[in-house]
Amino acid sequence: MAAQRTEVEIGGRTLSVSNLDKVLYPEVGFTKAEVIDYYVRIAPVLLLHLGDRGITMRRFPDGVDAGSFFEKRCPSHRPEWVQAVDGPGDRGGAIGYCCLAEAAALAWAANLAAIELHAPMARAADIESPTMVVFDLDPGPGTAMAECAEVGLWIRDTVVGIGLTAYPKTSGSKGLQVYLPLNSPHSHEHVSSFALAVAQVLERAHPALIVTTQAKAARTGKVLIDWSQNSRHKTTICAYSLRARPHPTVSTPVTWDEVAAAAVGEPLSFESADVLARVEELGDLFAPTVTEVQELPAPRP
Amino acid sequence: MLGKYCMLRKVTERAGMLGPKVMQTQGPRFWKALPMARPIWNGAISFGLVSIPVKLYSATVDQAVRFHQIDSRSGSRVRQKRVSEADGTEVPYEEIVKGYELSSGRYVTITDDELAALDPKASRTIDLLEFVDLTSIDPIYYDSAYYLAPDPTMAKPYALLLNAMTDAGKVGIARFVMRGKERLCALRADEDKLVLSTMRYADEIRDVTEIEQLEAVSEVELSDKEVAMAGQLIASLDADFDPTRFHDSYREKVQELVSRKQDGDETVLEAVEPADDHKVIDLMAALEASVADAKSARGRHPTGRTDDDDQEASARSRSRSSAKKAPPRKTAAKKVPAENAAAKKSTAKRAASRKSA
Repeated sequence: MAAQRTEVEIGGRTLSVSNLDKVLYPEVGFTKAEVIDYYVRIAPVLLLHLGDRGITMRRFPDGVDAGSFFEKRCPSHRPEWVQAVDGPGDRGGAIGYCCLAEAAALAWAANLAAIELHAPMARAADIESPTMVVFDLDPGPGTAMAECAEVGLWIRDTVVGIGLTAYPKTSGSKGLQVYLPLNSPHSHEHVSSFALAVAQVLERAHPALIVTTQAKAARTGKVLIDWSQNSRHKTTICAYSLRARPHPTVSTPVTWDEVAAAAVGEPLSFESADVLARVEELGDLFAPTVTEVQELPAPRP
Repeated sequence: MLGKYCMLRKVTERAGMLGPKVMQTQGPRFWKALPMARPIWNGAISFGLVSIPVKLYSATVDQAVRFHQIDSRSGSRVRQKRVSEADGTEVPYEEIVKGYELSSGRYVTITDDELAALDPKASRTIDLLEFVDLTSIDPIYYDSAYYLAPDPTMAKPYALLLNAMTDAGKVGIARFVMRGKERLCALRADEDKLVLSTMRYADEIRDVTEIEQLEAVSEVELSDKEVAMAGQLIASLDADFDPTRFHDSYREKVQELVSRKQDGDETVLEAVEPADDHKVIDLMAALEASVADAKSARGRHPTGRTDDDDQEASARSRSRSSAKKAPPRKTAAKKVPAENAAAKKSTAKRAASRKSA
């Protein structure tokens, strides 16, 4: 059966989209049209966080319940106004990731059922310089958002103690992520070793709550502080990206008092409509992560 | 002529003909690729009734640093001579024949002419025999890689074959003779060129039963947990193979050492110190202090799972530390301590109402 194609105009670009009625989230009947609509509406804030990075797209051509694949290399059939740029896996432009620099590009990606947009730590123009530190808090068996929130608060307090600010967002899945803006020259190695140090110190201080190793067996009842997400070649779900969960949840920037509330059991999960409303009301809580300049302690005394 | 049974031996001698200054005057010599590659084989691909003239070029370049043997006392080159074990005299090249050892010390000699007569079909054709899936070839069979280039005046049949093979997505298995040996090879289309990989014959692959140590593997018992852990480790190192990321750093150090010596700087490179992990430890100290601070300030778990006395004290110290340390969002971070310690409920409600907003 031939795909039903529709021409749409977004920000002065004409784009051909297909199968808008296709349900990508079967449990709630959320369609591809709604995915595209969300990405176009969230574009004003989302573009700030991914518009200048080589993006890894996780595509779900037959919806969130069916198979998915990570697409690093920007497809050759992209519109000519979607650029291929350096990304986390590139040495000398070997891959060429998609640069989704405008609303139309987000719509184009959404039309490919690229539900999840994963961003590297560095901008395409300078892939050797991470612009932030990330702590990816992943709840092990028997733990949930409450424990992640608690660990997030410990990370916040720890880095505040050495003069640094941190910003939390939900992963949009089960966990929480804490970001430290840098926006000043740092190497991937420096950032990774810093994140590892914070994780290890906290693991020692709270051995019953925190682990730093990926091994599943060690993670029951604990939260993994995944510091390794700071590697040059790793990507983390971008702020405001949809997730492929039963509901169209979003990786949502939150306030620390929301995190504190989550630590005592309040739910901390937002769907696409909630997020659009939050942005309207609160603005972009994550804007400081791309502007605030901070420096990590020097790697050597 | 040498007798039917003979023994040859390589003997290394020091040749004192070259002056002791040889190292300084000649400087380091590295093997360098010629600007233009030269074909190492000429012939034609035979494909059905079509014959496509091609030249074979090596696809790889050996980058190893090459050293000569030098007599450390005089600085002269060390030369090798072939001498007869019978009387120690040098044996001229034309007098050397191949000897196949039948048993210790007993040889049957064979001349190049005799071998030439046996040569597998001295053809100049690459005979395409069949087409297979690339994935069906175990990489262990691959030997060396070559590029095939057409005769510029006969580029069309080459382009046609290239095109057809690209479309078919198959690898051609072929046979051809090079350097006196019939080679099995895999021919594949790679974008704008044909690439030929010579392959080992099945009987050239060592039988693994010759490696006794491998038997121990089958006796190992693995738990599901261990397998899962190893799988996770692999997943965490998942990458796209990018050969340009890897380079021979040892060779680079050797070349650097040579360059220094050439420049008259006789400094010998010192052994590399093991990777410096102090940075983690020093930072650790600062972080440990910070964690201890935060802990004593909070004095309790935010979830109330541990000791939940002294809420006021914890609220006080947390307010102090937050205010002092310029928290991320003033409204947010200032609220946390008070709400967390004393007004959890209202925080929760506010968060909930914000969510539904």
